Amino acid sequence: MATLIGCQGCDMLVDLTAMPEGGRANCPRCGHFLARYRSDAVARALAYCISAAIALVIANCFAFLTMGAAGLQTTMTLPETAIMLYRYGMPDLAILVGGFILVLPALALTLIMAICVPLTLGYAAPWLVDSARVLYTLNEWSMVEVFLIGVIVSLVKLSQMAEVQLGYSFWAYVAFSVFFTLAVSTLDRFHCWQRIEAVQLS
Amino acid sequence: MNPAATAAARGLASCHLCCKLVAADVAHCPRCGAHMHQRKVDSLQRTLALLVTASVLYIPANIYPIMITDQFGTSIESTIIGGVVLLINLGSWPIALVIFVASVMVPLSKFFALYYLAWSVHRQPASGNRQRTLLYTLTELIGKWSMVDVFVVAILVALVHLGGLLVIRPGIAAVSFAGVVIVTMLAAHSFDPRLLWDKEEQNNG
Ligand SMILES: [Zn+2]
Ligand SMILES: [Zn+2]
Repeated sequence: MATLIGCQGCDMLVDLTAMPEGGRANCPRCGHFLARYRSDAVARALAYCISAAIALVIANCFAFLTMGAAGLQTTMTLPETAIMLYRYGMPDLAILVGGFILVLPALALTLIMAICVPLTLGYAAPWLVDSARVLYTLNEWSMVEVFLIGVIVSLVKLSQMAEVQLGYSFWAYVAFSVFFTLAVSTLDRFHCWQRIEAVQLS
Repeated sequence: MNPAATAAARGLASCHLCCKLVAADVAHCPRCGAHMHQRKVDSLQRTLALLVTASVLYIPANIYPIMITDQFGTSIESTIIGGVVLLINLGSWPIALVIFVASVMVPLSKFFALYYLAWSVHRQPASGNRQRTLLYTLTELIGKWSMVDVFVVAILVALVHLGGLLVIRPGIAAVSFAGVVIVTMLAAHSFDPRLLWDKEEQNNG
């Protein structure tokens, strides 16, 4: 019973007892993704998460892009992507953009740490269930990789009228997006909840 | 396919948040506390209502400017399509294609895919369900990529402010378009692909 999963795509019951190390299970009836398994998933997710957090802090400290045209120069930082929209009188859009590229990913990293540290120590922390609930509800609203494509498109759009340089923060954000994606995908929903249940029962 | 192999056929419901299998009459998940339901509540009605909302928002998103460029004292307003045309004129075909796909193709395909899926729940035989579930998974995956153009506007606005020489300001369509993306993502989220498969059990059982 504990290793059965009901497919979210077609409701078929699938037994996930014998998942191989590093394996990924899809539903035999509809093909929907079910789960991926690694025995060291929690430790890996924590390592990716810490790397992502460091990269995100760096990404907020330096210039993201610098533009020069006709002897003038402007620089933007990562938070300014949202802040400038607010200054132009679009607070709603500023909140959405800031949320999708910075706030929600940062929240997800905090929650992954709040889940992985107690699980590694075998400590039934009182915040485990709430953290996992928020994490798996908000996960799909992080748009880190979409934002990076947006940066590339912006560079091409500007290439005609100005000289644009990539700052340290841009490269830090690239590293952040890689580690963030790895952290989120490593902490598999099905197995994470099983670990939480196990640590609470022990 | 053995009809008793589904959670519903065995009187079980699976938690949408933590995947736990619980007896169908339990109101709250014993593991995570989420509200339990065998199928997403009012799935088709919610999906269709959100799709209509998104279709309405799609009109201002395309009519009004998404971005305003002030250059040498004159203002040029550009719409989503205008931005694509500008990129083609600049010779940036690949990037024009990225924006066209993200801002026009993806939202439109999502509208049609979800309308089709909602329609086929009652009107189509179960035989094509594997393809339809794949279509649904793709619809869920591509949703957020439509935000590219909104992020481009945010980046250009944050970077380009060279006094009286060259300034880029955000246009009102950026808000409408962000709305379209969010509402279509919610629409995809409201649809329950298990409804497609339920009639297979009804026919077999
Ligand atoms: Zn399935
Ligand atoms: Zn649950």
